[in-house]
Amino acid sequence: MSNWRTRNRPLVIGLTLLLLGLMLFPFFVMVSTMLKSSQEIYVVPATWIPRNLTFANFSRVWIEYHLLLYFRSSLIVALGTMVLNILVSVPAAYAVARLRFLGRKAVMYLLLAIQMFSPVIVVISLFRIFARAQLIDTYTGLILANTVFTISFATWMMTGYFSAIPSEIEEAARIDGCSRVGTLLRVMLPIAAPGLVTVMIYNFITAWNEFLFALTFINARAKMPLTLGIYQFVGRWSTQWELLTTSAFLALIPVLVLFYLIEKQLVAGLASGAVKG
Amino acid sequence: MGASTTTLRSRYWNKEAQLAYLLMLPAVVLLVSLMVYPIAYVFMMSLYRTDRLGRLQEFAGMAAYLEVFSTRVFWETTVRTAVWTVLAVVVKAVLGMIIALVLNVEYTGRRTARMLFIIPWASSVPISAMLWKWVYDHEFGLLNQTLRATGIWTNPPVWLGAPTSAFISTIWVDIWVGVPFMALIFLAGMQAISRDLYESGEIDGANATQKFVNITIPGIRHLILIATMLSSLWTFNDFNTVFILTKGGPGTSTEILITAVYKHGFEWLRFSRAAVMAVVTFVILTMLSLFYARMFFRQERDL
Repeated sequence: MSNWRTRNRPLVIGLTLLLLGLMLFPFFVMVSTMLKSSQEIYVVPATWIPRNLTFANFSRVWIEYHLLLYFRSSLIVALGTMVLNILVSVPAAYAVARLRFLGRKAVMYLLLAIQMFSPVIVVISLFRIFARAQLIDTYTGLILANTVFTISFATWMMTGYFSAIPSEIEEAARIDGCSRVGTLLRVMLPIAAPGLVTVMIYNFITAWNEFLFALTFINARAKMPLTLGIYQFVGRWSTQWELLTTSAFLALIPVLVLFYLIEKQLVAGLASGAVKG
Repeated sequence: MGASTTTLRSRYWNKEAQLAYLLMLPAVVLLVSLMVYPIAYVFMMSLYRTDRLGRLQEFAGMAAYLEVFSTRVFWETTVRTAVWTVLAVVVKAVLGMIIALVLNVEYTGRRTARMLFIIPWASSVPISAMLWKWVYDHEFGLLNQTLRATGIWTNPPVWLGAPTSAFISTIWVDIWVGVPFMALIFLAGMQAISRDLYESGEIDGANATQKFVNITIPGIRHLILIATMLSSLWTFNDFNTVFILTKGGPGTSTEILITAVYKHGFEWLRFSRAAVMAVVTFVILTMLSLFYARMFFRQERDL
């Protein structure tokens, strides 16, 4: 094996570079375009390296196009989703992981199944419900919709983390006179903290990247999250690509950083379901 | 009878069970009011005539179903959705396997390569789709410019402008998003396979291909199943890519069920028809999900 690997190393590295070029192509285009002037993007033949390197697009998206408002909306919605989700998922996960009750297996089965439901199925009726409840054009509406669609995965992951904690630790705390809820808050959560952080970041990312609910429920520019705000650069006849790519770059940085923090746990969770029994 | 009721009650309605139900209550309330109820409402919408705001008018029975099922476009869209899902998942699995194999070889910079390969998965799908729309631009896009300049393709197509090339371009973006997930899952599986197996394979004189087929593949078989299943559901549900790149066009050449539901509802305001297609989608997804859940739990038992 090692022999084969040594012999073919140049081949492997060549293949890696080729595949990387393929996978990163749109990001090269993004960086190239965001450094061009609005005239240069319509030059034929298109240039990879801008002739006149400019950072003007950065100030334009901040000052003329209110990117800050979109950032603010995304931040509010993502943080709101993260908090609300944890408040409902952690107790549910503790119940599934540690308590005996009728229907426990069914709950786990359902958690796995509803993880796959597409928001598109409910969005046509959710629109009616939100309209009646006056939740159109509100952060609350987006936070509620995003939370509902992240509950199953979050509960599923947290159940796995709680199950992995030896029950002796919890029993010891209970003997010392700690209540069930007390053990959850003071014993279980601190031990499961890395898992909790993973789930929180995952919820944040999911809400940050969400597009469909925003497209359906938000009309007011001031309430638009980044994905929808950036989509406004796409016009019917022409698109301001230099501004779109600049905004895309700025919007992607936070999610990329956060994703790298949880990527290992996320892969492990998705691969094993993180849950045992 | 009386005794068994008491034991049943003490087994399932004791303090522990009560606490469990209480702890699950907030999640259940949210799921019922904003997922279960809306799904029930969609079923209602499919059985009623609706106005342009989606309000229920009069009961119409199966009328909307018959209308939808009698159109050619619906069946074409359904078949296209199946082709879309199967084709995309197969290519994702193959490309993911190649990348996993490449990343499983030791060389300096491997960790960096792994980090870079993740970017398409880590980045936001709607934003990536917008970037690809620019990449594909016929006149000013850098894809066609690069193809022309390098002589790979001197007369490249108008990617999103013609039915066949639009389908290929759109499905490629979906594939591109899904490949890193496959690669990482496969890689994790490969690295968990014991070195001893490969060494004993070498002693028996197995070559690289034989080792791959007889050791690597069986070793990550269950991961391939789970990844394929998850990926199928994500691919089937990929609204963002299609909607942002083509909105299902030109014509209906890139339309899949999930975008058809949205367009019937919010662009053409035909809520009953949208609801019918949502119900069809719901039934398909439920079958796939239950299949996945069953497979998952069976595997848990085997492990």
